[in-house]
Amino acid sequence: MKVIVLQENLARGLSIVSRAVSPRSTLPVLSNILIASDEGRLRLSATNLELGITCWIPARIEQEGSTTVPSRTLSDLINTLPADQVQLILDTQTQSLHVQGGTSNNDIKCIDAQEFPPLPVPDMDGAVQVNVADFKEMIQQVTFAASTDEARPVLMGVLVTVEKDQITMAAADGFRLAVRKATLSNAMPSPISAIIPARALNELARVAGDGEESIYMVMPKGRGQVLFRVKDVEVVSQLIDGTFPDYHQIIPRNYKSRTLVSTNAMLKACKQAEIFAREGSNVARLDIKPAQSDMQPSEVEISATSEETGRNETIVEATVDGGGMLIAFNVKFLREALEAVKTPNVAMETSGPNAPGVIRPVGNDDYIQVIMPMHLG
Amino acid sequence: MRKMPRTILHLDLDAFFCSVEETRNPDLRGKPFAVGGKPDERGVVASCSYAARQFGVRSAMPMSRAVRLVPHLIIVPSRHRLYGEVSEQVMERLRNLTPLVEQISIDEAFLDLSDLRDKDPRQIALDLQAGIRDELGLPCSVGIASNKLMAKIATEVGKKGAKKGAPPFGLTLVPAGQEAAFLAPLPANMLWGVGPKTEAKLAELGLHTIGDIAAWPEADLVRRFGENGRELAAHARGQDERPIVTEHETKSISQETTFTRDVSDDKTLERTLRELAAEVGRSLRRNDLAGKTVKIKIRWPDFTTLTRQTTLPQPTDNDEEIVKTALKLLHTVRKPRQAVRLIGVGVSGLGAPVRQLGLWDGGSEKSRKLQEVVDQLQEKYGKGVIHRGES
Repeated sequence: MKVIVLQENLARGLSIVSRAVSPRSTLPVLSNILIASDEGRLRLSATNLELGITCWIPARIEQEGSTTVPSRTLSDLINTLPADQVQLILDTQTQSLHVQGGTSNNDIKCIDAQEFPPLPVPDMDGAVQVNVADFKEMIQQVTFAASTDEARPVLMGVLVTVEKDQITMAAADGFRLAVRKATLSNAMPSPISAIIPARALNELARVAGDGEESIYMVMPKGRGQVLFRVKDVEVVSQLIDGTFPDYHQIIPRNYKSRTLVSTNAMLKACKQAEIFAREGSNVARLDIKPAQSDMQPSEVEISATSEETGRNETIVEATVDGGGMLIAFNVKFLREALEAVKTPNVAMETSGPNAPGVIRPVGNDDYIQVIMPMHLG
Repeated sequence: MRKMPRTILHLDLDAFFCSVEETRNPDLRGKPFAVGGKPDERGVVASCSYAARQFGVRSAMPMSRAVRLVPHLIIVPSRHRLYGEVSEQVMERLRNLTPLVEQISIDEAFLDLSDLRDKDPRQIALDLQAGIRDELGLPCSVGIASNKLMAKIATEVGKKGAKKGAPPFGLTLVPAGQEAAFLAPLPANMLWGVGPKTEAKLAELGLHTIGDIAAWPEADLVRRFGENGRELAAHARGQDERPIVTEHETKSISQETTFTRDVSDDKTLERTLRELAAEVGRSLRRNDLAGKTVKIKIRWPDFTTLTRQTTLPQPTDNDEEIVKTALKLLHTVRKPRQAVRLIGVGVSGLGAPVRQLGLWDGGSEKSRKLQEVVDQLQEKYGKGVIHRGES
């Protein structure tokens, strides 16, 4: 193999795929990145067997070939080379890759590409097509609610369902739920339902760029995998086996109290409360106070107390519809929920101190979050 | 500015358990007897009378050995509840003198007398000893000095100097400024933190008395013993800045039990763990606390002791959750049918019992409600009235 690439292209490609490298794998080849000439471009691939990322970069292929290069060594080296041409020449006999950039000459010991796990060659026919910006927003609005508890693998994933022209993502960690819907430009002939690891979606959002392109998603039958393609990047992930708990039944149908606040003001109040709450059990108390008379404002008082740090109390102007209420939440959940809301105003609905709290962006019915309160003993 | 020297009093009830037994049964007076478990059930001497001490009986000695030393030794089963009550009467008396009382065990306490300037500390000590002897029938020894370390050593020195076979009623005062001189002739192992290992290392350097240590370069002690070396040097010169800590914050709630005979039966062990966990849970709920960390303690028949702990996602005060976690921990360290001498359960990381409610937690809510009902019933009708079934 003999290939000439631009340093900046190679550096960008390596930074994209290296997130799938498993640095402490028992399989040494998984610490490596596959580089291969591929129809006039250079293909870079990494996989930890659960998540695989492939990226194609422009290259001048003078001689076809492939090998796998230790990820850290190659990335660190390329990042220090001048922004100019980089020449990669593989000695097939010794599996030694000669890397030359500027006046720097390096030989890296590689592992034969034969040992690298084969990555699926996808058939993108019948792919679900979503605009990159929309898909990224969906991901960012649900993945934070997924669990990080390995004991409940199903909840470490995001339930992605497609029905006709509706795509829905739902994630829950047992204490909170985030559900985001979107409409596809084309209706799908058959429904899809799969649990995709939240981590894979986060990586996808990271590598997808900011352009106007589309993300294509396919789930080849019987493979237990999902494949995304956006521009010159492919992300493949194992699906999570299991049944996602039924979340529809836990979204309350009604409420006793509805509080409208400025998303930003409420978010700030939560951040302030969190400074104190995080020292203790993370509790923030919300005292929802309806107006005493027509002339008086209604408000929410957010407060947090820590034995060590002290206490905090912030009043946020609100429009309260229904009765007053004292309810406590894990302030981290509340803050993350508000951070995910993109509209200027947000509604919080609840039926009691031990009943689920519902968070809706005002003027957008595609997004709903449910947070369970904390019970004060 | 030079700090005003403090006046710290250390009080130690002499052969406390035995002295209490003597007040209840005057026939024991002057006789060799020991409080503790039976020799055939691997009992240990919890406390022994001064008459027994003359024969070499010591506390913490296996009772079987004590009986070999003194065949006519009278063994009195311990009555911890009684000792606790009497101890509380003594502590109450101390607290009447000053609120700055730090109880360090059932029979020992420090008092900070620094603010009682107009009274002579020696007179305070004599009054205390007389009061406790006349009204509670108990002997005690007292040490007075400018800090906790010195006061405690003063008490020990006073006890050692007493005549054999009778309660020492020691009273030793170390005037401020004379700490180092007082310590100098004492053996190194009377210092806090000097166990057999450190003692041996010190002996290698030719350091046998506390005075030897005080004269040795501090830098070398630090080099050899690390931070402990610095402390050692300060202590050897009679320096100790620790204040009186009046109340111990509850940091953990735990229960343990030593089996009269080793238990290797899984069922029995699990049942014991269950009972201990229920005790811990009850105590948490009574104190309006919940904890995040569940700990077990196990002692094997060869006395090796180990603890294992795990942190829960949420604080708990629920028996069932404590049991479940404790059993999981038990299974990580114990093979089926492996014999156990002691087992204990504890919960730490305590705080107010706030609970994050779950989206799907019908089940655990039920368990919690059930717990409340069980607690109420047990409160009213006793522990035997109801308990959780085992599945």
